[in-house]
Amino acid sequence: MTAPGHPQARENRSGLVGQSVRRVEDDRLLTGAGVFVADRNPDGVLHAVFVRSPLAHARITSIDVAAARRAPGVVAVITGAEMAEMTHPFPPFLMLPGLYTPLFHALSADKVRLVGDPVAVVIAESRYLAEDAADLVDVDYEPLPTVASIAEALSPTSEPLWAKAGGNVMMDHTDTFGDVDAVFAAADRVITERFDCPRQSNQPMETRGSLVEVDAATGHLTIHNATQSSHLLRWAVAALTGKQRTTTALKRFITNKQRRRAFFAGAKQFVGTNRDGLKEQDNAGPLAQLKKDRSFLGHMNKIAVGLLGKDDYPTVKAQDIGGGFGSKGPVAREDIALAAAATSLGRSVKWIEDRTENLMDGGQAREESLTVSIAVDSDGTFRAMRVDLIIDQGAYPGFPIGAPLITKMMKVMFPGAYRWDAFEIRSRVVATNKGRYIPYRGPWANETWARERMIDVVADALGMTPAEIRLHNMIGADDLPTSMVTGPSIDETMSTKQTLERALELIDMDQFERDRVAAAASGRRLGLGIACYHEAAPGPPEFWDCIHPGTGMLTPEEAHTTVEADGSVLVYTQQMPHGQSHETTYAQVAADELGVRIDDVTIVSGDTDRTPFGFAGTGGSRGGPIGAGAVRTTAREVRRQLIESAAGMLEASPDDIEIVDGNIHVAGVPARGVTVAEVARRAADDGASGDLHGAPFEVADVYNGAGDGGWSVATHVCIVDIDLGTGLVTFPRYLVVEDCGPIIHPAVVDGQVRGGVAQGIGAVLYERTTYDEDANLQAATYMDYLVPTAMEIPEIEVHHLETLSPGENDFRGVGEGGMVGAPAAITNAIEHALGARVTTQYLPPTKILELAGVIVPG
Amino acid sequence: MKPAPFTYHRPETLDDALDLLATHGDDAKVLAGGQSLIPLMALRMGRPGHVVDIGRIAGLDSITVGADGDVTIGALVRHEQTRTSTDVATHAPLIATAMPWVAHRAIRSRGTVLGSIAHGDPAAEMPAVVLATEPTLIARSSSGVREIAAADFFHGYLDTALRADEILTEVRFPAWSPNAVGAVVEVARRHGDYALVGMAAMLTVDGDTISSAALAYFGAASTAIRVPDAEQALVGATVSADTFDAAAAIVSAELSPPPDIHASAAYRRHLAGVLTVRGLSAATAEIGADA
Ligand SMILES: Cc1cc2nc3c(=O)[nH]c(=O)nc-3n(C[C@H](O)[C@H](O)[C@H](O)COP(=O)(O)OP(=O)(O)OC[C@H]3O[C@@H](n4cnc5c(N)ncnc54)[C@H](O)[C@@H]3O)c2cc1C
Repeated sequence: MTAPGHPQARENRSGLVGQSVRRVEDDRLLTGAGVFVADRNPDGVLHAVFVRSPLAHARITSIDVAAARRAPGVVAVITGAEMAEMTHPFPPFLMLPGLYTPLFHALSADKVRLVGDPVAVVIAESRYLAEDAADLVDVDYEPLPTVASIAEALSPTSEPLWAKAGGNVMMDHTDTFGDVDAVFAAADRVITERFDCPRQSNQPMETRGSLVEVDAATGHLTIHNATQSSHLLRWAVAALTGKQRTTTALKRFITNKQRRRAFFAGAKQFVGTNRDGLKEQDNAGPLAQLKKDRSFLGHMNKIAVGLLGKDDYPTVKAQDIGGGFGSKGPVAREDIALAAAATSLGRSVKWIEDRTENLMDGGQAREESLTVSIAVDSDGTFRAMRVDLIIDQGAYPGFPIGAPLITKMMKVMFPGAYRWDAFEIRSRVVATNKGRYIPYRGPWANETWARERMIDVVADALGMTPAEIRLHNMIGADDLPTSMVTGPSIDETMSTKQTLERALELIDMDQFERDRVAAAASGRRLGLGIACYHEAAPGPPEFWDCIHPGTGMLTPEEAHTTVEADGSVLVYTQQMPHGQSHETTYAQVAADELGVRIDDVTIVSGDTDRTPFGFAGTGGSRGGPIGAGAVRTTAREVRRQLIESAAGMLEASPDDIEIVDGNIHVAGVPARGVTVAEVARRAADDGASGDLHGAPFEVADVYNGAGDGGWSVATHVCIVDIDLGTGLVTFPRYLVVEDCGPIIHPAVVDGQVRGGVAQGIGAVLYERTTYDEDANLQAATYMDYLVPTAMEIPEIEVHHLETLSPGENDFRGVGEGGMVGAPAAITNAIEHALGARVTTQYLPPTKILELAGVIVPG
Repeated sequence: MKPAPFTYHRPETLDDALDLLATHGDDAKVLAGGQSLIPLMALRMGRPGHVVDIGRIAGLDSITVGADGDVTIGALVRHEQTRTSTDVATHAPLIATAMPWVAHRAIRSRGTVLGSIAHGDPAAEMPAVVLATEPTLIARSSSGVREIAAADFFHGYLDTALRADEILTEVRFPAWSPNAVGAVVEVARRHGDYALVGMAAMLTVDGDTISSAALAYFGAASTAIRVPDAEQALVGATVSADTFDAAAAIVSAELSPPPDIHASAAYRRHLAGVLTVRGLSAATAEIGADA
């Protein structure tokens, strides 16, 4: 599968990269030997249950926990007010122009803002007893008017969720590229449509969960957590819990020499690596925040000083994780409450979120309204686009990132793979009494949905086919080098047009037309939908600075590769695998680079005591380009060192030496070799011992990804078959032509694409986080929140192009694209089938028959 | 998601079980396959003080065919057992036809047919099969045995003629007439979900004339429900598309199904009509195939 003749293929020593090797994690996971947070039950562990608001919006007038405290097996009940004494509020993390980020605590004390808002935590000897006691907590609520929709949030008379926000619009900012007014005025036509995407939820198979173990002797916390980023959680817990008086913290800092030294060394390193990023930070964001609410300055100060005054930070250990799709990236209020409770009790406490909690506030996404105007010439040439985007972020902002950053990603990606003279996007974020809006696989995806939907609308208006208008406007090889109207440069990795051309070859349009006619005769409607996109995976070097200046400093990623004295290879990554097969794919990359067997390589992740620092964890389709890039460069350097050591033993020049299956020898003379284990043993005997892990060979490196280019692209084409009697939609064909560069593991890539498409199918046909007009959650169990099963997912054909990039590490991300392309392809196909305008992303059978004119909307 | 405290009883005999129910009355619940009761308890929507698990009671798990071809199903017969039983396929084929629509295999392997009837979910298949085939439902309590007619059994949403102290021990389905045909059709959002709307139909046909008809709908009202006017329109008519369309029109006009987040009332009404045509066509297509 690897492109022949490519340098990578030549350097590929064991030939593992490009093969669907047997997955390393399968034996463990398929035999039930995986260890998830829920599997850990240390002796004497206590269980936490959160008391949650039954109302969407209310003031708490009183809370009586006396009966709960007396209940059998109860060790503690902590109220919101008490929690506020123990923890700092979540501070604004990314301050953006035009944005206000409210501050909030782990538990609510005065006011509840959604059904499920935690107001107290009960800690008892079992989950059963804790739930019994939670029933006894008596809270008096004074109901407030609810804000249940974007429209209500925009109304100036809606009850503000956050007093200091001055309404429910939390952000309002416009980004303009080019002279939009002039281009609109000059274009032949302007076509406008509004698209609405209802709320969905990430829904990993494993819910969130945390076990906070407290060392009785030292008080040190070890947190086992289903997190996508263990280092982020570690620092968030360190920062927000263990609240102390500022003077105490300062005194502790000043009198602890070791801590002082460690802090200044850390600060120096941070500033050193991020000099450019820090310089680019602008002040407009903090000023916008200050204008509404100065309190964050004091809190940030206390948090910073508090961190300095701590002698010990928690260890986070994450092991097997049953999926996340973004929902385990943010730090949860529950995570903070749990750590604070365990610390105060000096006892280990566990919380496993149940599915109803997960559906209430485990993370929701995608609720967006997008009004798109396209200025177009009569020959179908796109001139400019204007977008009015409104995101419903729910009650509490995602931490550290949520809707505001996602508006920025949408801003950059909206123009897609097409040529435009100008572009403008107004981005608003509103607060409503609903669950937390967080990133969901391809968090910016609705730019693709709205754009690709709109392109079909424009094609229809101009009498062109969807394929014609796309091919006419799409950036092709002739346009290179170029850049998106929103900034990022475009190189040959943006092969979207080739994927579209290939997809069109794979579809027999004449046959489709014949099938269409035949179906119509039997009460069915066939439709064909196309969607094209590109995503930054990782994107060109300037990509993140186009999102927002300074955010580029999140890109670099560190890895460590070591060879132990027994010859085994350990690769330490800050990535946090939760279903993506890192243990296999990184082992393939490292083994190929080193020339050892895949079985000799073990990937170490999730343990903050052992793995390199990094806040990004796993997400953002970074695992292939950045994470694997770091693995590759460190493994390459280890190989160089091994060969150098062996050169003396072999009395040969390093240039003549190769490593094959762990045997180091002069090329072509394997019989006279030494093994990696022998070289490692010799080095260990000679006293070689690395600073980081004490291994005889040890290389750490930070990989930037910059210069690798790296767009991952695809075209989705699907055919839908709609039964006009029932409104049921099936897929006679679904095909994806994708290009993520050279493929490490074809089956894993196909799995990522298919899983993403499955979630896209879920988004359109099954999944909706439904709230009623008073913001009561209507889909609080799996009877009502419908995740598609294998029975609902068709065969998905995946075809690959493997365009090489000029960069050094050629792997590009592929984790998110399936979900980005699918809703657009499916809704386009449904519009084509029914001949009725589709402006919502959610099309259950009722909606299908309403669109078809079979039933009257009710 | 853990149930509130309750006392668990696992009687070895039917008499002991009935005594427990007599003692605890409204505060007790029978536990059969647990596929409906346990989720309700876990959500604390059901909070019985006593759970009487009938799973160990001998003699309740058989499917018996009577001398005249009637089929008696005991309280511990699992859904899956009826799906694979040749006796059921031969003598009570409508049950076998309904089974693939009931949940998923794992749930069918635990859930019981009588549990489903006793639970009385308006969107479940078995209550409609009961209405269409008119079996006799046999309920026992410590004070005696009661035979309940199918038409009297379902009172409302999750509400049946059973008293709190009773166990539904057997359901006796009448012999399947040689002239009978039937079908169970439904639409669910996903495979194995409760139906948005479904229909269980049983017709007897003489030549190509319909001599009797029972059309029972699920997901269309607060209980499974028959539509007598549509049935009357069928009786005496010939098997034809026009006949079925006419019945479907009556069904759509007479039913007023409730809306919920999964489907509107208009959708359900429309679907009931569509399923009427499809179900009757499927039922009568089978005659042709057999003949
Ligand atoms: C995911 C899922 C999907 C499902 N989908 C469907 C579906 O599509 N269609 C469908 O029909 N069902 C469906 N079910 C429900 C399933 O069929 C249940 O098995 C059935 O409804 C109840 O049978 P049970 O033996 O499990 O009863 P239990 O859960 O044990 O009991 C249910 C109720 O009936 C009472 N009860 C049970 N047996 C008796 C008795 N002999 N006498 C008196 N009272 C009794 C109990 O006290 C309780 O109130 C689904 C269940 C799940 C979990």
